[in-house]
Amino acid sequence: MDVREKLNILADAAKYDVSCSSSGSNRSTPKGGLGNGCQAGVCHTWAADGRCISLLKVLMSNACKYDCAYCVNRRSNDIPRATFTPKELIDLTLEFYRRNYIEGLFLSSAVVGSPDATMERLVRVAKELRTVHKFGGYIHLKSIPGASASLLHEAGLYADRSSVNIEIPSDQALQYLAPEKNHASIYKPMNYLAERKLEYNAGGNFSRYSPRFLPAGQSTQMIVGASGETDYQILTLSNGFYKQQQMKRVYFSGYVPINADKRLPVITTKPPLVREHRLYQADWLMRYYKFEYNEILDEQHPNLDLELDPKVGWALRHPEFFPIDIQTADYEMLLRVPGIGVKSAKLIASGRRYGKIRLDSLKKMGVVLKRAKYFIYHPDTPASLRRLYPEMVRPLLIQQAKPVQLDLFNDQPLLLSAS
Amino acid sequence: MLSISYDSTFDGFLSVVFEIYRQRLSVGDIRPDRLEGTSEDLFMQPFWVETNPDSARRLKRAIVNAASEDVLYLLDTVFRSEESGVEMKMLAFLRKLFSGIDKNYGKNPTSEEMLPLYMIAQSVRREAGDMRGMVRFTKLEDGTYFAEIEPKYDIVTLLAGHFRSRFANERWAIYDSRRNYGIYYDGCGVMEVSVPDIKEVTAGLPPDSIKEMWKDFYKAISIKERENPKLLKRCLPVRYWKHLPEREASPATWLESDWINPKFTRSSPSTLLPSDVAKANSRAQVLLR
Ligand code: SF4
Repeated sequence: MDVREKLNILADAAKYDVSCSSSGSNRSTPKGGLGNGCQAGVCHTWAADGRCISLLKVLMSNACKYDCAYCVNRRSNDIPRATFTPKELIDLTLEFYRRNYIEGLFLSSAVVGSPDATMERLVRVAKELRTVHKFGGYIHLKSIPGASASLLHEAGLYADRSSVNIEIPSDQALQYLAPEKNHASIYKPMNYLAERKLEYNAGGNFSRYSPRFLPAGQSTQMIVGASGETDYQILTLSNGFYKQQQMKRVYFSGYVPINADKRLPVITTKPPLVREHRLYQADWLMRYYKFEYNEILDEQHPNLDLELDPKVGWALRHPEFFPIDIQTADYEMLLRVPGIGVKSAKLIASGRRYGKIRLDSLKKMGVVLKRAKYFIYHPDTPASLRRLYPEMVRPLLIQQAKPVQLDLFNDQPLLLSAS
Repeated sequence: MLSISYDSTFDGFLSVVFEIYRQRLSVGDIRPDRLEGTSEDLFMQPFWVETNPDSARRLKRAIVNAASEDVLYLLDTVFRSEESGVEMKMLAFLRKLFSGIDKNYGKNPTSEEMLPLYMIAQSVRREAGDMRGMVRFTKLEDGTYFAEIEPKYDIVTLLAGHFRSRFANERWAIYDSRRNYGIYYDGCGVMEVSVPDIKEVTAGLPPDSIKEMWKDFYKAISIKERENPKLLKRCLPVRYWKHLPEREASPATWLESDWINPKFTRSSPSTLLPSDVAKANSRAQVLLR
């Protein structure tokens, strides 16, 4: 089988992993070598489904010995199997990189032989890229559940980011759908890497020559809609990942039925794209808008509103804070106004020191006044009208909401919108 | 009222502003000479200002003194937008800045004159940022990596720093064929270059197997169930497709794209990709119900 055929099989098999970020690493070009890292990440192209592509995302092998119900590579599927040799992968990465197709490599693998044997191959590719070829581009290595600590440690020295996917949000459902896995086997590498990273950082020696450990941290992914968890459970879990494991990103992947399996939703089920989109919006609120997870949802409201984005949802549940005066409100409060994004909040905060912000300049800044107007007031607004009536505003906002676009895969905080 | 023309360079524009102040000119319009031949206002008197590096330098210093380095950089970025009428917007800003009425004026990004400039600069910077990912190199016979781009804004020189540190050990060139100039890195430094016939540079190159594999990869990575042409066009505007191998096929064929690479299927008809299995499964399931 030639490399091209392998690439077709192993890229196709890797596409359900949604992680795409290449950010968080500012590695400089090794002397005499090739490539560097960009703190903000660089998207190189977008797939036909609108997801950013910045890395050569492939599996080392898809010949899995496990049999996870939701996975296309499980051993009971009758599909062509392929395995890259380290050299094939290294050459492909370097050639793609030189043509500026990619920002680096995302290497994952099915479990072949044993977890350690698999992990060892992944590490070998990264190590050779770094040491033999002096490659400074981005490397994301998957941690294989069950791999030994020494291999994980070595991975951390060569990779920029590592991830191990939790896949199914509750342990019970995971054991049911993936009999060879459980949450403990996933948390173990995660916690190990988080601790190691802390240790390295605690050294306090940030010279560019000191060894670095996973400069871009860890990420994980969970499948949404394959098992019965609520959005509140999912956000609680993500919050834990951000706080306890210092996770850089948590990805959600709306379940795309691949296998006919009686443990899973029927194969004709449409992927829950709107729900996935709302979860990303909620995640944005936590990471860029300083919301706590339990402000977005709680036990009484365990699921996200599919009609309105979570920021609007929060605002409508808290009429006591609105409308606000944009000349004086705290920056944190500006961020909470539906229709105002991070960029415009910053502009408002810096501009108002020198004079009044007019409605018309808000529009020019890109504030979506159609939405924001219910939540802000102007000095000319009579005091008696400075009240928010959620029951009147809600239908108006829903009316405006156009069909949802899935555009939250980039790493930039976008304007949260109901459209 | 004068309609002032200049040589379309940033220094040229600064020289214009300098002359406006020095000679107390009354300006109706400022036109870069690349617009030559397009209609001009008949009631305005044409006036040519020669670029003078010395006046440009003096004006730059004045801008930094009255505001900051950042503002000078902002103006340079805005100028690259080549948006029609942008010179008059910049002049309005400079007039307000030099009037000295408000000594914080240069710091306020939300003032009436600065906000439009600020927003233009953002789109220019965005394109320069995106272009770092969308440059596609081809390997020439002599080993130089060559890329052709046609950006909306005049940003090719803004890419120099990024690619110089990334491909420090290689020779490469990025060429803006719309403006007919580009940058070339010879392994030590970056220089501006221009070639008489761009087509000749890449003519006669053998087919590149790496490029074919990149196209394969691109097709394999997309998820059929999620295809979203509208979103794709927003993330990756059609005007860039021409120079992206993965998108160079005509847009029409892509929209109802067959998501399995036809070449690959033809050469090995017996191979079923994992995603074929998913498709077959879902068909079987529908028949069963
Ligand atoms: S271990 Fe990974 S590759 Fe193997 S079946 Fe499970 S999810 Fe798929």
